[in-house]
Amino acid sequence: MTRYRLHVNGKRRVVDVPGGTPLLWALREELGLTGPRYGCGVGACGACVSLIDGEARRPCVEAVDDVHDARITTIEGLDDHPVQQAWLELDVAQCGYCQPGQIMTTVALLRRRARPDDADIDEALKDNVCRCGTYPRIRAAVHRAAEIARGRK
Amino acid sequence: MITRRTLLQSTGALVVGVQLSAAGSLSAIAETRDGYGAEHAPDDAALAPTVFVRVDDRGRVVATVPKPDTGQGVRTMAAVLVAEELAVEVDAVLLEQAPGDTARFGPQTIQNSTSSRQLAEPLRRAAATARCLLVEAAARRWQVPAAACTARRGRVEHPAHRPLPYRALVTDAAKLDPSTVPVTLTPPEKWRLIGRTAAGRSDAKDIVTGRAKYGAESAPSGTLIAVVKRPPWIGAQPDTIGESVVATARLVAPGDGQGGFAVIAERTAAAIAARDALEVTWTGGTPEADSRNWLAELEAALPPVTTAPDVQRVYRLPLLAHAPMEPLNATAHVTENDVTVWAPTQDPGGLRTLLSRLLALPESQITVNPTLAGGGFGRRVEPDAVLEAIACSKAVNRPVTVKWTRDDDTRHDSYRPMSVHRLGATLGADGLPTGRFHQVVTWPLTVVPVFANPAIVKASGDHFPYAVPGDVTVTLRPAPLRTGFWRSVYAGQFGYAEECFLSELARAGGHDQVAFRRRLLPAGSRLRAVLDAAADHHGYADGAACHLDYGSAIAVLVSAVAGRPRRVTAAVDVGVPVHPSGVRAQVEGAIVDAVSTVLGAQITVRDGAVVQSSFRDYAWARIGDCPEIEVVLVPSEAPIGGLGELAYPPAAAAIASALAAGGDPVEGMPYGVPVG
Repeated sequence: MTRYRLHVNGKRRVVDVPGGTPLLWALREELGLTGPRYGCGVGACGACVSLIDGEARRPCVEAVDDVHDARITTIEGLDDHPVQQAWLELDVAQCGYCQPGQIMTTVALLRRRARPDDADIDEALKDNVCRCGTYPRIRAAVHRAAEIARGRK
Repeated sequence: MITRRTLLQSTGALVVGVQLSAAGSLSAIAETRDGYGAEHAPDDAALAPTVFVRVDDRGRVVATVPKPDTGQGVRTMAAVLVAEELAVEVDAVLLEQAPGDTARFGPQTIQNSTSSRQLAEPLRRAAATARCLLVEAAARRWQVPAAACTARRGRVEHPAHRPLPYRALVTDAAKLDPSTVPVTLTPPEKWRLIGRTAAGRSDAKDIVTGRAKYGAESAPSGTLIAVVKRPPWIGAQPDTIGESVVATARLVAPGDGQGGFAVIAERTAAAIAARDALEVTWTGGTPEADSRNWLAELEAALPPVTTAPDVQRVYRLPLLAHAPMEPLNATAHVTENDVTVWAPTQDPGGLRTLLSRLLALPESQITVNPTLAGGGFGRRVEPDAVLEAIACSKAVNRPVTVKWTRDDDTRHDSYRPMSVHRLGATLGADGLPTGRFHQVVTWPLTVVPVFANPAIVKASGDHFPYAVPGDVTVTLRPAPLRTGFWRSVYAGQFGYAEECFLSELARAGGHDQVAFRRRLLPAGSRLRAVLDAAADHHGYADGAACHLDYGSAIAVLVSAVAGRPRRVTAAVDVGVPVHPSGVRAQVEGAIVDAVSTVLGAQITVRDGAVVQSSFRDYAWARIGDCPEIEVVLVPSEAPIGGLGELAYPPAAAAIASALAAGGDPVEGMPYGVPVG
């Protein structure tokens, strides 16, 4: 067991886990942050995407050892964010399991591009799988979130 | 009995091994009772005229949802129906998920697109009963006729009296004899919500905040985690097991799933690491199996063609995995007298009945708590993960969650069977078919024994709706691996082959795909209406297909550009689209399934093992693969129909046919890719 100090959702947190433990399990099982979902464990599906120093990353393939200096934001760290508002407005989710990852990836995209076009969306979300097939609504909601973030209601 | 000495020590974690035998049957899962069970008596503080609805002394409307939600939206549908009849808004209805109990709740399985057909009427009637009792209570207090009173916005109103909120009426209403109060359903012309509401999914807020609880999040605190070392090739049995656990590991419970060796730890990462490090040698099974050979064997079993058709074509369809986003998992706590299960199951009631039989316990000692499920698509009607969790909990006397890794989920699924279809037609002078045959060679569904009967397979798959005489023959060969329900079941294969063949006939005769189908559908039929509606919205289409099943009708039109589906329009008649956004969502999702399976997703087997292991190589569609989709709701007078599976078969056929309009003929699925 090793003690790791993490910055998660604006708070300093301590976890005692074996070295090399994927961040996902530290978040879920030590800190109770279960919004990042386990979908594949190999970085292929995007269900766990969270922000690490502002970038969309995959906690299932990030070891705790490598993120102890970083600022981590999970879906629980958002508060009525424009992306969440857009997701509700357009009724995006079906089963919802992938949506925290879709939302966090979109949050990171909108930080880079205030007005993403369809090609930007395709690229940013290309490794976020939605098995229910909510892609058309995700696309519309990304555009809508960008509008909300720019102050248009 | 497990003792500390028998535990694997792995980086400070508690690790226990449990051997799981390969067994398990689903036969009891299909058995469900018709009708709805005994009403439980209302207490003083709540009006609860049925098991489905109650109004408590704070005036809150609570609906009990008998069937689980895997994303298909049954919880939202229940909220809309109850809100309509109790004259409140959709988000005012609190939802409780019913535990497994078919005696009280009736059939709780979600399969064959039955949720809306089985639940809409009893849910509406339950809420209407509560409303009529509340109105009657108000009418008696005011000494006016009930017919002069109206329920609105959670209150009962009368022109001469101050409105009474439900909370002020609950106690009186609960004392009424329901059999003395006539119950009237709100007539369609007065619906505010059914078919009209703009409300979103009931669980949406929990979903977008990460608070929604699926299987793993629903386990009680202190639950251990099990990860299973599974057979590396089909049918393999463990031979020798790593020395550190050999003395204690061979714990075998009856009927506990697909076989393997469970490693139990305090934390998931430790369980996975210990599982991966565990050395097991395996024996038996079919280490040489190859899905290309399976396909060839199916094709070789096609019956001879007795009368030469004018046109014929053979279609070859692959194995498909369910691959729900939430991998299979289940939590169980077995104690001396009770078994409690928390699982993202598609059938909590059938599961409880099955467990009662397998464990020889009365149902009263078994509690099945269904959780939200991260997709199901047919996979979660099966009990295997639950049986594994029970075996593990028995071994350690603690609650245990069995977690399937993505690799487990992809490689140890119950797959959609491979199939080979030979279709032939005789043509009239105008190029329209005058006769047809469709030979199917496929496998049964191994997890549902009744599907070993070719007549049942035919009933599942054979829904040819056009006026062309002919028939379907089904030949079943023994399945070489586990096969199960996959969205649309055999209709996904039969309908695909039939509509792709029809498209080829139309193209060969120079016919427009829509006009060709119109001539083969009766005037005034539901299919003709949805086909016309789709054509009105879409314009010219490269691919078209129709499907009539589950009491609903759909037509799908597709335009393709540069070998990709660009635009898809689906017109759907489900009778009453209770929750319009949810109806559209189901159709959109099935269209994306069609995009995925036509463009490239398939499961293959080499050297006895499934090759694919995650979404990296199981090529499910991504956002950039997704065409523009428009869903047109076509209301009708038909009773509420099923929907979850309706759109997949025609969408897949229409997409493949649209690609073939600019390229090679469709010879199978995926389009233009070697199958198997």
